Amino acid sequence: MNTDRHIASAFDRDLEGVQALVLKMAGLVEAALADAASALETRDEALAERVREGDAAIDLLEEQVNTECVRLIAIRAPAASDLRTVLTVMKIAASLERCGDYAKNLAKRSIVLAQMHTIEGAAGSIRRMARQVSLLLKDALDAFISRDVDLAHAVRQQDRDIDQMYSALFREFLTHMMEDPRNITACMHLHFIAKNIERVGDHATTIAEQVIYLATGDLPRDPRPKAESVTMGNL
Amino acid sequence: MKDLRLERDVQTETNKIEARKVQVYYGTNHALKDVDVDILDKTVTAFIGPSGCGKSTFLRCLNRMNDTVASAKVQGAITLDGEDIYDARVDPVQLRAKIGMVFQKPNPFPKSIYDNVAYGPKIHGLTRTKAELDEVVEACLRKAALWNEVKDRLQSPGTGLSGGQQQRLCIARAIATSPEVLLMDEPCSALDPIATAQVEELIDELRSQFSVVIVTHSMQQAARVSQRTAFFHLGNLVEYGETGAIFTNPKDPRTESYITGRIG
Repeated sequence: MNTDRHIASAFDRDLEGVQALVLKMAGLVEAALADAASALETRDEALAERVREGDAAIDLLEEQVNTECVRLIAIRAPAASDLRTVLTVMKIAASLERCGDYAKNLAKRSIVLAQMHTIEGAAGSIRRMARQVSLLLKDALDAFISRDVDLAHAVRQQDRDIDQMYSALFREFLTHMMEDPRNITACMHLHFIAKNIERVGDHATTIAEQVIYLATGDLPRDPRPKAESVTMGNL
Repeated sequence: MKDLRLERDVQTETNKIEARKVQVYYGTNHALKDVDVDILDKTVTAFIGPSGCGKSTFLRCLNRMNDTVASAKVQGAITLDGEDIYDARVDPVQLRAKIGMVFQKPNPFPKSIYDNVAYGPKIHGLTRTKAELDEVVEACLRKAALWNEVKDRLQSPGTGLSGGQQQRLCIARAIATSPEVLLMDEPCSALDPIATAQVEELIDELRSQFSVVIVTHSMQQAARVSQRTAFFHLGNLVEYGETGAIFTNPKDPRTESYITGRIG
């Protein structure tokens, strides 16, 4: 990665500016995920409501990142690693925006779930999974900040753990539903929550792949390791 | 929300130059039609447009360089800080000390580096002692980001410098009379990309003290250095506005066609 300053110092300020916005977005998304999971576990509807409302700030930041990037491309005509930085920043912002939506969805469902009887152990498992995926997201962004290809590769590998957690939860919810059909509504909500958290992991992977592209100019070609998929056949 | 905008924003809303209904004729040729423009203080304003669109003509109106063209006739009002620069009482030579100019090709005087910069302050009597003059020369060469390269050879001829250095010397010379406005007509067209970048960075620094107006054929340069952009076409001022807005979402279809390379 080229760390020399540009002769045009305003160019450096603009590039640093958009990257700072993306990191700010990441901070909000991580907090939203943690808060939403904690709201689910503690049945804290006020906290869930705050997460729902907080999503607007994340969306606004994404819009701002896009506006600034468009401007930067129009005005500075970035080339090589600068161009990849701008493109990466836009893609990361899009991924983070989706993650923000998933956190918001988790918060919404946790408000509904707060009215139902508890599914034993589910909220704790969801929180652990959310925590795991937050760490993955954090690693992906750390890799972005330091242009650390090794860390980015590690994130790609670790997404498998999230997938496995999701599969395990899926089976657990199925068992609950089969045991007692009155659990179905709650378990369906919990299942969507788990699926959404699993998708956040996919976005962390996407970000990691973008970091590899940013640092090397190439997307990784090797197939990403996947956990056994959940299909109707192997339920 | 505002953190990024601040860097780019102009520091002032004060108009340095106001032009109203400016018309220029070269003989029977109506070269500039009804130009209204407010040029902000401490801001870089870029004039862009195809050849013959009137941008250089308008730039030359701003320090009355068109006075020297016999066939040129200028109508309308141009004010500097609210005062009419075409008023009969205004001495064009004094005016040009306040509104400095840098040209397309570096044109240092066939004198030493020192004398190139010292010339303006000397003839305008801006300094009293040699020590004072030395100070002005050093300060201007520093502002023009040239001091470190020439401080050990101030007495060698200015024409012996490289193109990029000569252009920065011309900028140092232009700011030596403490102008309030700096006009630049294609200041980088004879320079390589690195020297261009250095001059552009210099322009960005100069805007903390001056109002800079730059005519350029390079749209990318206009985008990079300016905060305001004016697009001229066939003698008309087509669009004038914030540079980012002009280059991402121009309002006039002619501006869009020009900046996207569809008309020229």
